[in-house]
Amino acid sequence: MKVKARTLLAGCLTGALMGVALPAQAQQAPLRISLNADIRSTNPGVNRDDNTDAVVLHVVEGLVAYGEDSSIKPLLAQSVSVSKDGLAYTFKLRNGVKFHNGTPLTAEDVAWSWKRYTDPKTEWRCLSEFDGRGRSKVQAVETPDAQTVVFRLDKPDALFLATLARTDCGMTGVIHKDSVKADGSWDRPIGTGPFKLEEWRRGEFVKLSKFDDYANPAEGKIDGYAGSKRPLVNEVRFVVVPDSAAAKAALLRGDIDVVPDLANADVKEIKANSSVGLSIAQNMGLSTLLIQTRDPLLSNVKIRQAIAAALDTPQITAAVTEGLAKHNNSIVPLSSSYHTAAHDKGYTYDPEAAQRLLKEAGYKGEPIVILTNKRYPQTFASSVLIQAMLQAVGINATLEVLEWGTQLDRYNKGNYQVMAFPYSARLDPSLSYDSVMGPKDKQPRKVWDNPEAQALLEKSMMVSDRAERQKIFDELHARFLKEVPFVMLYNGIEASAFRKNVQGYTASVLSKPRAWEVRIAN
Amino acid sequence: MLRFIARRVLMAVPTLFIMAVSVFALIRFIPGDPAALMLGDMADPAGLSDLRERLGLNHSLPVQFAIWFGNIFQGDLGHSITSSQPVLPLILDRFWISAKIVLIAVLFATLVAVPAGMIAAWRQNSLLDLVLVGAATILLSVPTFWLGLLLLILFGLKLEWLPIVGYVSFSEDPLAALLYIVMPIATLFLHEMGVLIRMSRASTLEVLRLDYITHARAKGLSEGAVLMRHAFKNAFGPTWTLIGLVLGNLLGGIAVVETVFTIPGLGRLLVDSIFARDYPVIQGCLLFIAFVYVVVNIVVDLLYPVFDPRVTAE
Repeated sequence: MKVKARTLLAGCLTGALMGVALPAQAQQAPLRISLNADIRSTNPGVNRDDNTDAVVLHVVEGLVAYGEDSSIKPLLAQSVSVSKDGLAYTFKLRNGVKFHNGTPLTAEDVAWSWKRYTDPKTEWRCLSEFDGRGRSKVQAVETPDAQTVVFRLDKPDALFLATLARTDCGMTGVIHKDSVKADGSWDRPIGTGPFKLEEWRRGEFVKLSKFDDYANPAEGKIDGYAGSKRPLVNEVRFVVVPDSAAAKAALLRGDIDVVPDLANADVKEIKANSSVGLSIAQNMGLSTLLIQTRDPLLSNVKIRQAIAAALDTPQITAAVTEGLAKHNNSIVPLSSSYHTAAHDKGYTYDPEAAQRLLKEAGYKGEPIVILTNKRYPQTFASSVLIQAMLQAVGINATLEVLEWGTQLDRYNKGNYQVMAFPYSARLDPSLSYDSVMGPKDKQPRKVWDNPEAQALLEKSMMVSDRAERQKIFDELHARFLKEVPFVMLYNGIEASAFRKNVQGYTASVLSKPRAWEVRIAN
Repeated sequence: MLRFIARRVLMAVPTLFIMAVSVFALIRFIPGDPAALMLGDMADPAGLSDLRERLGLNHSLPVQFAIWFGNIFQGDLGHSITSSQPVLPLILDRFWISAKIVLIAVLFATLVAVPAGMIAAWRQNSLLDLVLVGAATILLSVPTFWLGLLLLILFGLKLEWLPIVGYVSFSEDPLAALLYIVMPIATLFLHEMGVLIRMSRASTLEVLRLDYITHARAKGLSEGAVLMRHAFKNAFGPTWTLIGLVLGNLLGGIAVVETVFTIPGLGRLLVDSIFARDYPVIQGCLLFIAFVYVVVNIVVDLLYPVFDPRVTAE
């Protein structure tokens, strides 16, 4: 028995020592990007989350896509034209685009993909946006020739293209018919993107390979999901690393080439390290302090104004993002082209005014509970500061930390007084406003319920004229500051770290890693 | 013997049934909705109700339970809400990965801890005893995730001997596989060794005080013979029971270690599913863990007579 155990142990040790040299032998290293969780499926816009979108959108592409400034740009389309009445969208396809199986892209493929998406059996996440339950209904898709597709709507919709391009809709990606099995069920994505799907090993990694026949939409710079998208490495491997400390260690060691979502707290350490580089972008997510305007206490606008006056939002922002983000008190994100000087106007930090407002409101120290979570460290950190600042003006504020699923449930039911809540990015100001505005009777999760403001928002979704839309957003912002339905703090930060030999990697305002236009130097 | 096994298996049936009912109910007591979590803050009412319908969440709870429970008897634990994979193969896949690590770690921990504990007891209050007990106490007090991170930093980052993230299966490349699981195994090994040393020492101490040991020594037997032939068999019993408990415990719950070392095992599957409120997977995992616990304990009880002939399986 003793001898056996010793032999076994020795065998293991020898094995371990011999194997130490293994990783170094790897040939032509792939670009390894960490993902904090496994993807959910390879089916665009169906069973998805942010990680899924990030991977799948390397493989499939849509007619239009978001640029870095959140404007809509053609991708598979050469051009897009809208009829005067706003009811017909005509897409001319780019020449020379091929699917990963070598067949050329035609208008038929676009029509087939659309038919599949709008079949309820596909379970496309964005179906309700286009089947009449949303703003407009797509009544017909026509293919007058092999390179032209026409979408016909029942009413004008300024957000039609913006919705098609949404990453959570899988960019309404055009796929080849062979992506589904004979019975119509999902097989694997055969798209037109810069990388082909090779292998998905659940819980471990997703392997993509370079698509040699990729037709680059535009020479020049990388630009969101449009722009130049050349695949420059032979293999991309999205590796699942759930623990952020392990991901950081793996990056420093060289087991991972890119960590796209570095914690803000780690930025300082990474900056000081000479073997890794850093890229930072401010995304379009909204970090907020939501206020339940139907709460007996908080229905009083003066108390809400007092809360806004008690908060030093620039200081909160600087503290929780390590000085990386700029505060923003407007629902229109900082990086949006609609964020003009009018939207720079924010709350005034004035503790005395806050105390005065509280007194006028007849506040007698009733408790106010702030809900928060630890899933998002910045959200938690900001709640702690908010609690302290509210207490400083005499508000009896307490913190309650919930698990994220529970907090989301309370959010959806509107069951809270105050909660620190992060919204994921919406890429059009109308959509940002839409995520928080609406009738609470029908949708308890809505935060800002004001019929006049709602009418303005709906108008912004109908008109395409830029100046007119800007005017609407400016007015909405003025009302938002006055009514304080909630407090807007800042837009999130995307800090990506990469090994120094990785060239061309940039963090995206769209909060997702991109492997195109990236190469590994020897 | 057979009657014993039959009785134990029959006794496990109500345990598993109660487990099934309470798992089903408890998970639904947690606020949160898998459909809402999948859609996140982008959920619109139409999309949410479509998804709830598709996931079968629109049925009443008793109906959901009846469907789930009925399917279990046909060997069908349902499909994952998030990945749509069938639950049982998913669990088995992940289980083998965890089991490999746990079994190797516990085997080595036993091989080292039992003799170490006996030696500590034999030389009670000596410097050696002090060192062994001190080390054991430190090892069992250190949280596994912290120990794991320390190993990662030392062997992965500083010495660069072992890879930090990833997993390779044995069938693919046995040597590389070994490299990837050395650190998780070492973490568990160190932690469990602490637990087992203390148990082995305590039970040996008790046995060494008994009259028959004094008698054996009086006969003039060597200390080795006294320890191995006389003390070991009686002292090992409690440790063996503890090993059973430790195994049952670990086979269902090394989520923390798996997360730190990016091992796609059963524990991580369970934790991920809880965060995603993936009810079928949570239910399947917990039921499976309960089942493993019962099986391991039956096996431990059956093997008990091998070490202690006074105990019979009747």
